Amino acid sequence: MSLPQFKLLRPRTVEEAVSLLAKQNASEGLRATRIVAGGTDLIPSMQQKLFEPQHVLDIRRISQLQGIRQTEEGTEIGALTTLTEVEHSDLLQKNYPVLTEAARTVASPILRNMGTIGGNICLDTRCLWYNQSLTWRKSCGFCIKKDGDLCHVAPGGTKCWAAFSADTPAALLCLNAEIEIASSAGFRRTPLREFYTGLGDSYRKLAPNELLMRVILPRSSAGYRGVYRKLRIRGSIDYPLAGVAVALSRSNGNVSEARIALTAVNPAPVLVKGASELLAGKIVDEELAEAIGDLAARTAKPLTTSALTPEYRREMIRVFTKRAVLAVASG
Amino acid sequence: MTKDFSIIGKRIAMVDAAGKTSGAGKYTDDLSLPGMLVGKILHSPYPHARMKRIDTTRAEKLDGVVAVATGKDAPNTYGILPVGHDERALAVDKVRYVGDNVACVAALDEATADRALELIDVEYELLPAYFDPEKAMKAETDLIHDNKPHNIEKDYHHVFGDPEKGFAEADHVAEARFIANEVTHAAMEPHSTLAALEIDSQTGKPGRLTVWSSTQVPYYLQHKLSLVLEMPMSQIRVIKPLVGGGFGGKSEVIPLEIIAAIAARKTRAPVKITYTREEVFWAHRGRPRTIIDLKTGVKNDGRITAVKARVVQDGGAYCSYGVVTILYSGALLGALYDIPNIQYDGYRVLTNKPACGAMRGHGTVNVRFAFESQLDELAAKLEVDPAVIRRRNLLQPPCVTINGLRVQSYGLPECIDRVVERSGWKHRKGKLTRGRGLGIACSHYVSGAANSIIRSDMPHSTVNIKIDRDGGVVVYTGAAEIGQGSDTMTAQIAAEVLGCSLSRVKVVAADTDLTPIDIGSYSSRVTFMAGNATLRAAEEVKKQIALAAAKKMNCAVEELVFRDDGVFNSKSINVGAGVPPVQAPGGDERGRSSPHRSQDQASVSGRVEGQILRGSLQQQRNEEGPKDFMTFEEAVVAAIDFHGALAGTGSYAPPPEARGGKFKGAGVGPSPAYSYSAQVAEVTVDEDTGEVIVHKVWAAHDCGRALNPVSVEGQIIGSVWMGMGQALTEEMVWKDGLLMNPGLLEYRSPSSVESPEVEPIIVESIDPEGPFGAKECSEGSLAATIPAIANAIYDAVGIRLREAPFTPERVLAALRAKKNAKLLDLTEGIDPTAPERFREHGGALWFKGKGPERHASDPARRTEQA
Repeated sequence: MSLPQFKLLRPRTVEEAVSLLAKQNASEGLRATRIVAGGTDLIPSMQQKLFEPQHVLDIRRISQLQGIRQTEEGTEIGALTTLTEVEHSDLLQKNYPVLTEAARTVASPILRNMGTIGGNICLDTRCLWYNQSLTWRKSCGFCIKKDGDLCHVAPGGTKCWAAFSADTPAALLCLNAEIEIASSAGFRRTPLREFYTGLGDSYRKLAPNELLMRVILPRSSAGYRGVYRKLRIRGSIDYPLAGVAVALSRSNGNVSEARIALTAVNPAPVLVKGASELLAGKIVDEELAEAIGDLAARTAKPLTTSALTPEYRREMIRVFTKRAVLAVASG
Repeated sequence: MTKDFSIIGKRIAMVDAAGKTSGAGKYTDDLSLPGMLVGKILHSPYPHARMKRIDTTRAEKLDGVVAVATGKDAPNTYGILPVGHDERALAVDKVRYVGDNVACVAALDEATADRALELIDVEYELLPAYFDPEKAMKAETDLIHDNKPHNIEKDYHHVFGDPEKGFAEADHVAEARFIANEVTHAAMEPHSTLAALEIDSQTGKPGRLTVWSSTQVPYYLQHKLSLVLEMPMSQIRVIKPLVGGGFGGKSEVIPLEIIAAIAARKTRAPVKITYTREEVFWAHRGRPRTIIDLKTGVKNDGRITAVKARVVQDGGAYCSYGVVTILYSGALLGALYDIPNIQYDGYRVLTNKPACGAMRGHGTVNVRFAFESQLDELAAKLEVDPAVIRRRNLLQPPCVTINGLRVQSYGLPECIDRVVERSGWKHRKGKLTRGRGLGIACSHYVSGAANSIIRSDMPHSTVNIKIDRDGGVVVYTGAAEIGQGSDTMTAQIAAEVLGCSLSRVKVVAADTDLTPIDIGSYSSRVTFMAGNATLRAAEEVKKQIALAAAKKMNCAVEELVFRDDGVFNSKSINVGAGVPPVQAPGGDERGRSSPHRSQDQASVSGRVEGQILRGSLQQQRNEEGPKDFMTFEEAVVAAIDFHGALAGTGSYAPPPEARGGKFKGAGVGPSPAYSYSAQVAEVTVDEDTGEVIVHKVWAAHDCGRALNPVSVEGQIIGSVWMGMGQALTEEMVWKDGLLMNPGLLEYRSPSSVESPEVEPIIVESIDPEGPFGAKECSEGSLAATIPAIANAIYDAVGIRLREAPFTPERVLAALRAKKNAKLLDLTEGIDPTAPERFREHGGALWFKGKGPERHASDPARRTEQA
């Protein structure tokens, strides 16, 4: 499959990048500039003609976006930091183990060498009816997410249910991460949980002229115990079919604060509402873990976006959440 | 008798290994020619439709497009089987599956060709389509092929012995439906073809056609190209470059191979087409999803009294190898165990899906999964050890089975014993921790079909050998190296017979202009058949060398020994100074001669200046009188001087007594020899998630003789691994004939993470007819893996899965049902312990409302408009 034709832009600074973004977008509409970092998400999609941008903005030369740094408020991870770097960072492993564990499960070692944390946060939502070639989609009928106006997974529905399928955002939500976004108008910061819309098609709040710069992990989340559990068929390569991140802090054996987030079972990564309240001040036992698992399963809304059935994926959210909670509490 | 070989039986690196690992080796897609165009194929978006009109004008006008080929450029039908000529390279009147071939654009570059595909206007009239074979069999109208009533490609009904009586005599009978879902080869190299037509420089008319293609069957490709293009075979040259895996997916003519030639003829320029991975899935020819209704009767001691199988294969839209597949499924119920009574009803059914064909373990795998699972059930019912029940049903070779299969060498008992011993079966089976289990299963496969696809008396393999004064041995074989080691095997056999080092042997393979006919690399026939042909060719050459050498050495031909790059007089081998002793070959233990050695030898024989001096060297030898030893080169030169030239030829055709019975369909199943396999798998099952981990597989395989043990082990490990893929993760997911996972991301072949340790155990039964006793080793092991895992899952957690693959959702569904847990629909309504029909992916394919403008052809909309 050939790539559609495009012009490659290669800025060296954030300022240059956002000014290029501001310039390109006004007239391009559907063919708006796409930003490429590791390329592991965008390139296959461009081959499938899911994106046919006039310009591709390659941000890999922008050194400002690289690396992991400790700051006063916590730890910053530049958007261009590879998932391999995240996985092997001693700093992150020590303070935010749930993130390194989630990073370690992404795709395969080779893809993690290319893929970046910024790309993982911005990862396009996925659906078996969407991530297909142009020929395939023509044969099937176009859907809401691309070129059409209806949904194959929820026939009759008008909402897109493509599943958000990145691993690290579930961990980042548990850590109360914030992200910093640049545009020609300046910089803005937003909690990660407000970045996602919950819709499968326009799944993130990132304007065409904006660039994700970094993710900030607050000091208050440092030292949380954490576990990430991922459902996939193969032990490598696969996107998550369901994912659960659990992070909690303890005092005197009791849970003091806890957050649980799910991925790959909704159009956005989601924090499980009520989990913190259920866990706070308690000692985790089998029964409590079970209750949390039930709560998580009710939060999950998987549909037929992937090979495994929705019922199975929901059930695994229950099992994995329970196991993750027990593992964190006993660790 | 153990024979002392110098090259056979040694662990030898593949002769093409370095080229492949360094990237220097050339596969078809690596090739290019001056002025070469890129071909891209337009595929049908509909599963079943009549083509009312095709207009290529707009595409042809696009800058950079040289030509657009359509069905009318070469409308002749073809197919791999003479009874199945139902394909056209490009559709003429009808398309029969999503992905069927409609037109081909030849353009200056790929992007232009892709754009041009969008500009081809095709008007279709949609027809009702059939996706489920049992429904397709009920159809009266809108048949997929007009000459196939009820969409049945072929059905066979075989009765051997008296099955009814056998079941009446049985103490226990098990009966169940098994379903094996569809899998594909997933070879790493996508299909690729480069076709170039010479233009006669005098007349300007098209002349000879040369096709480089990723094929397992160069000769069949040459034949089908001739049929479709209406060119004499002598005007067509097929060359097979390196092939990156076949597994059956390249064992017949694939549409792009003919389409590239059509486009080359139309454009008068070289055209290369390389499939995308999605196109590989559409070209498919994989293992059909299969329904197996199986009934087995046993006596209390475990002896099988009768077997009855009804097999329905969802064959896809074209015949392909289908008739052979459905016959193998029945025929190879025999030849593994002694089954006195067999009833077999096989249906190969057409559906509007990509065509299925031959895939590693062709026809046997899915039925073997059912059979070995059911035997395990019966063993449990009888409280007989599953290894023991298999031992109680052994054949007594040499024998001919009830369905006419001749079995000579039979290493199955030893295979069973070895895996039982190595796995600690007797003290571990049934005694592992909860959730952990062991399972055993057996399988077998042909070493080539005794009857070729095209019925004739033609030898199945012919090999020529030429040796010139330089002492280089050139072996010409049509056998197709596809990564399985065919070239290495050929070189080894030639070198062993001629007693020369492996490095002297150059194999020229799979080029129809240069190499004699070999029917190709499929049904595990190459070692047995091309190996035997090589052996015979080498022996013929050896005989000629021996005649001349014996004269020179003044001894009888029978006294000569060919070994270590020399010819020895065996009677006086130990006398004579300066003769390199047999016991100390200069080559390393991998059979290659070391460079140092040839120098030493040169000084010994006084030869320092190379070949030019050979004449005088000869002279010198003559003057010296009879010798006990000649170097290989000296012997060769003597033979050429004596005979005028040195060449030999050998061919192989299976013996008449191995060709099976006389009934309809008896031609498929017979083989000159069968390989045997027994395996034990150790698994754990997570009872909350249904995830299965295979920890280890002990795999014993009777390959007759291991010509190259490292290669045999590689094939065993590969078979187990591929079988494990079908057992656990690989499955083509369908929705109304649309393949939901046409890529290697969603079609999940196992990754290295879940690959278990495989302990390959080679069993050598020394077949009386195989080359040095060898039989096949590349396919027979696959089929045992699936039931071995199924039986291990049963041992671990007590669930009997009758639908493969055993994905976590299926395993969990069965576990929950066993525990009477709350019912969850984990498997789209199909009970994996008692499946009734094939599963469809959830969701809905077609819009039910308005779509964008360019999707006007949605059938829902069309009804609305009408």
